[in-house]
Amino acid sequence: MAELWSAISAALPVTEAEFPLDFSEKVESSVVDVLKRCRQQLYTGSGRWRQNAQIILDFSWEKLNTGTWRDVDKEWRCLYSYGCLFKVAALCRDDASPATVQEAIRTCDLGLLMGAAIMDNILQTFVRILQNEIRKRPSNEENPSEGVSAKKMKVDCVSVPVVKQALAVPRIHCPSLESFKKDYLDPQKPVILEGIIDHWPAFKNHPWSIEYLQTVAGCRTVPVEVGSRYTDEQWSQTLLTVNEFIDRYIVVKDASSLGYLAQHQLFDQVPELKDDIRIPDYCCLGEGEEDDITINAWFGPGGTVSPLHQDPQQNFLAQVVGRKYMRLYSPEDTEKLYPHQLQLLHNTSQVEVESPDVVRFPEFVKAPYLECVLQPGEVLFIPVKHWHYVRSLELSFSVSFWWS
Amino acid sequence: MNWFGFGFNGFGQIRANEKLTDGESAGDANVTYPISIDIVCRNLEEEPVQICQHNSNVDTQIRTSWSRRAALHSNRLPSRDCNSASLQPAQPETAVKGDGRLCLAGFGVGTPSQRGCGCCVEESRGCQDAHISEGYLALSFTDRVECWNSERNEKKPGWSMVIPDNTGPSLAFPLVPGGYIASNPPFYRPLSPQLLAVSLALGTEHAVLLTASGDIYTWGSGSHGQLGHGDLSPQEEPRAMEALMGMPMSTVAAGGWHSVCTSAGGDLYVWGWNESGQVGLPSQALRGEQQKSQDTGGASTCEDQEESNDEVFISIQAFPALVDVTKSCEVSKISCGSRHTAAVTSTGDLYTWGWGEYGQLGQGTVNSSDEPRRVEFFKDQGLRVVDVVCGPWNTFVSAIKEDPSLHPDTNILNPL
Repeated sequence: MAELWSAISAALPVTEAEFPLDFSEKVESSVVDVLKRCRQQLYTGSGRWRQNAQIILDFSWEKLNTGTWRDVDKEWRCLYSYGCLFKVAALCRDDASPATVQEAIRTCDLGLLMGAAIMDNILQTFVRILQNEIRKRPSNEENPSEGVSAKKMKVDCVSVPVVKQALAVPRIHCPSLESFKKDYLDPQKPVILEGIIDHWPAFKNHPWSIEYLQTVAGCRTVPVEVGSRYTDEQWSQTLLTVNEFIDRYIVVKDASSLGYLAQHQLFDQVPELKDDIRIPDYCCLGEGEEDDITINAWFGPGGTVSPLHQDPQQNFLAQVVGRKYMRLYSPEDTEKLYPHQLQLLHNTSQVEVESPDVVRFPEFVKAPYLECVLQPGEVLFIPVKHWHYVRSLELSFSVSFWWS
Repeated sequence: MNWFGFGFNGFGQIRANEKLTDGESAGDANVTYPISIDIVCRNLEEEPVQICQHNSNVDTQIRTSWSRRAALHSNRLPSRDCNSASLQPAQPETAVKGDGRLCLAGFGVGTPSQRGCGCCVEESRGCQDAHISEGYLALSFTDRVECWNSERNEKKPGWSMVIPDNTGPSLAFPLVPGGYIASNPPFYRPLSPQLLAVSLALGTEHAVLLTASGDIYTWGSGSHGQLGHGDLSPQEEPRAMEALMGMPMSTVAAGGWHSVCTSAGGDLYVWGWNESGQVGLPSQALRGEQQKSQDTGGASTCEDQEESNDEVFISIQAFPALVDVTKSCEVSKISCGSRHTAAVTSTGDLYTWGWGEYGQLGQGTVNSSDEPRRVEFFKDQGLRVVDVVCGPWNTFVSAIKEDPSLHPDTNILNPL
């Protein structure tokens, strides 16, 4: 137990004086006062620091929920991270039971998800320490990965759509940078690139599987979308650990609701997984910096649907596990796709692609499209603003790269 | 009148802790159960002030910010004395105007010790009303409005505005002739005179206005349904709430992301964000949390989570919903904190619901609630609740003894 605390405190500045608490005038003095209390209590080891950390968390959480997420000042996100830091320290000092360690990991994850990096991304350091603590214990009690291979996953009888040859997305094997640029990027034509991710550790060194994901990230908290699609009234988001997500939505596939770990920058959160993938070389053909490339994870059971929509950047969609049925429409045909009027959803079509309401949306069936079944090892190039519809046919894990 | 407080006490704004030990500061413990606040103003040396709590010469109102509590004292017409049999609370209109003073407690002010109600703000002498926020202190006088920066110790207000004479009936702050005073710059915001504004409540990012005809207008951010127009769009200009048209409303209140109003007949309507049950409708987030805390150990089993599938949960209520506080009574006063709501009934009971993590619901716990619950303390003590004012994370209540025939001195309550 003392080991955990000594590891955590070793990651912190040695003295209170070296612990930075610099904020702009935007953060009120009363809040800074509470922060200083937290810091003092951290180094003197006395006082109600759990309570004070919670005050910081609650205050900054309200700020994070004020205005649009994009416009939230970074100061508040930093403040939230500080709250997480103090809470984790308070938790680890008291005890190192599995429940406490799990709560500490969850707290770090909330800070990583909603906060901003502070003190050399100290929350990420804390997660490493806490995961080591978990791995020290012999596999017992609530270890969900035990016997997962024995667990019967509901195997769907997958009905794979037959792709009409005339409408198939073209395929090319390992094109040169020049030919990809000339034939597909510049004219903005979708294409499936084969053979360009075979070297990924996710295929060769440790092939991604449920077991592997549970080992590497099982205790990490991630955002999960619940509901059949994001345009549904019942759709919602929740926070679960990867283990909980797998138990609830992958292993036992509940017919009544789908869970989808979608559009989440998992690889920033779990560096071990980032090591298993590579940014496609073709991204260098864009104007943006490599640091600006957004990498998202898409992990879910069969049946998850992303309604027909468009994104403001170029996209490489790399398929790692399982297959997905996809359809692509050109932005030239946007009128036939009946986008929602609401600002919030204007990049999403109102039409249900695989069973369109021809009365409400008569032009839709006239819109030309390309389709494919994307297999593991393949990468689909989706040009910017190209409308795309995705349905997973079975357990699936995709990695998308948004670049400009 | 007696004032009570409960909830967030991180700066000693409700009560001071006895001894300061290493690492602790003035108000670490939150107050989960109503305690009596010593609000008698002892700041004025020149006037002998009666210790009696029922000093009917002084009317005291409460104003709050996150880290502070302010007592706004003003003199009533000196027609009553301590021993009067009719101990009715003075209506604000009978208070003599323009002789108020503000006393602060909480952050930066230290713990109220011998000065019961806090530290007197010299600049406030003669004010009519005040609003305090984390950054600013706004004072309204009969002829002007001043906004003082709370953080800096300055000789002059950072901003002020002259109020022309005889501009009609005096308005409830933060309304001023032609508009209202916001809690941060730009302070003066104009309002169309056609609205005939009577009362204004300001939330974190929205505003709720009551007009002379009993209609309600809302504007600001609508992302959490707090505008009550049925969607999540923002409104730049005041927009009438159609759902309540034709029903004259009498009071309005606004919280962080929710809004409340009462009809002339005492019905209560609430709309906006319900993440902690502050709207008074079933909240899934709340039930989920309560479920988790009942599970043993760490990882929760998922089999029993889905049992209440039939119940309809509301996370955002975009249209006003009629909330049944209690079967028989009418609601007379309302107030909202950041994520909780409080209501006083015509029979003198206090109901609270919403976020309770700091004890701001006054139920003796740190639980949140998505159903209005009566705060039994007042009934148990034989107190009739008269008014309620919520700070973001706490609640202040004024109450009087039910039985006025008792000698006032015996009504002094011991702090719990």
